[in-house]
Amino acid sequence: MSGSDPGKLISKADNLTTLSLTRWSADWESATRLYEQAANGFRVSKDYEKAKLAFEKASKGREMLSSPWDAAKSMESAAALAKELRNWTEVIDFYRKASELYMQCDRPQFASDSLAKAARAVEDALPSDAIKLYSDACVLLEDDRKEQMALDLYHAVTNIYVKLEKYTDAVAFLLKLGLAADKCNATNSQCKAYLSAVIVYLYAHDLKQAEKCYNDCSQIDAFLRSDQNRFAGKLLSAYKEGDVEEIKRVAQSRSITNLDSVIIKLARKLPTGDVAAFKTNAAIGEEEALDENDLK
Amino acid sequence: MSVIDILTRVDVICKRYDKYDVEKQRDQNVSGGDAFARAYAAVEADIESALEKVELASKEKSKASAVAVNAEIRRTKARLLEEVPTLQRLAVKGISTEEMAARNDLVLALPDRIQAIPDGTAATKQTGGWMSSAPSASRTAIKFDSDERFDNEYFQESEQSSQFRQEYEMRKMKQDQGLDMISEGLDTLKNMAHDMNEELDRQVPLMDEIDTKVDKAAADLKNTNVRLKDTVTQLRSSRNFCIDIILLCIVLGIAAYLYNVLKK
Repeated sequence: MSGSDPGKLISKADNLTTLSLTRWSADWESATRLYEQAANGFRVSKDYEKAKLAFEKASKGREMLSSPWDAAKSMESAAALAKELRNWTEVIDFYRKASELYMQCDRPQFASDSLAKAARAVEDALPSDAIKLYSDACVLLEDDRKEQMALDLYHAVTNIYVKLEKYTDAVAFLLKLGLAADKCNATNSQCKAYLSAVIVYLYAHDLKQAEKCYNDCSQIDAFLRSDQNRFAGKLLSAYKEGDVEEIKRVAQSRSITNLDSVIIKLARKLPTGDVAAFKTNAAIGEEEALDENDLK
Repeated sequence: MSVIDILTRVDVICKRYDKYDVEKQRDQNVSGGDAFARAYAAVEADIESALEKVELASKEKSKASAVAVNAEIRRTKARLLEEVPTLQRLAVKGISTEEMAARNDLVLALPDRIQAIPDGTAATKQTGGWMSSAPSASRTAIKFDSDERFDNEYFQESEQSSQFRQEYEMRKMKQDQGLDMISEGLDTLKNMAHDMNEELDRQVPLMDEIDTKVDKAAADLKNTNVRLKDTVTQLRSSRNFCIDIILLCIVLGIAAYLYNVLKK
């Protein structure tokens, strides 16, 4: 059987499944087997289009046989082949279908896994879709209270946002990362997330937001006691003084190298823009404070 | 002797050998760059000299010279009190908020110190016996045995000592560098350890799941094995076995009989 032409196997299987006068009920079992064999044959001969179709049909067969697990697995294989063909919409569709089937088997981890695979595949081509897929995957994991697995996904979303230069969204996701890390007591990841958030704000040259963010995060005990807190404080005071050399020196220190690679790149490029503006603002603020004292 | 006496004696000895304290000398030189620090150092020096004059005055035998010294002290005090406001203004131009506050505190303490210098006028108003014990300690005459021989040249650095000091500085620098490298390495280690911790925490519930599933599978296997054993023993029970042997013997007997008959 394995030696015969996969095309013939497909047509045979099609015959078995189509209903006609001579056939009253479709024989899904043998049909599915034939579909799978055909799909493997096509894959070996690198005919991805036909292999993808065969996997799709095999998955449908498995669904009919009420085994959503195998159906999901076939769907994933189909999606992987669609990725080879660079057919992104199909990739997304197949992976979504696979994740639904996994949810039917009551395995949310695998479901979020397939969504994550989809997002990774379309990251470069369709970043907004990738973001949506990642967020759905994170939601699935959080519903199952497995936030720790979600940490990597949050990192990936942040990286996409940074690439798209949407810094506020990136920070939002970093804060969500911090929240998830908090729920599973991953204090190191949490502190690193908050520090990354401050750095992203500074890269976007928004000192006020960075300070607000830093103050908010300082409310959290774990962050307050950590090295990352001290480092963030040093960085912010260097910014307030407007001392470019100091900023560069602080940014080269060890704490940065422990963070995610994308964040490291941002930190190396600090300071962006004119820090002298921050310095004069800060000085004006101090003089005003003195005036108030004199009035008293 | 009492603790206070020991303290005053130690203070006097330290002041005497101040010139050996390189760090203090260096600090005094460094503060020369800052206007406030210079002025403050000048005022402090004046206060010190006024206190020394007080000691001299208490040792004076003739009343006239004591009165003259006291008058001089009073003039110095008035001059110093005038300088305090200028110091205050200089203090406000400080660098950072913490330093400003510290300097303000120092300047505010100055008037009290100046007033506390005893000038023979309001001796009864002195605060407790503490101020009086200072001159009293000097009255018990802390004497240095080799007093006269200590001139400036005696305190100069010899070549050996300066070389030694240099070597000490170099070694200290090298140690600092080494410690910096160690701290970097420790930083990396700490980060790695934290990440490993989190990873293991992540895997604990997965292991628990595996545990339960494997337990279930093991129980199923055990069950199946027991049933299989039952079936097999049933198949090969001794009764069936005996029947098999008897039938086999009968067949052999029949075969032998036939063989004998046919041979004949």
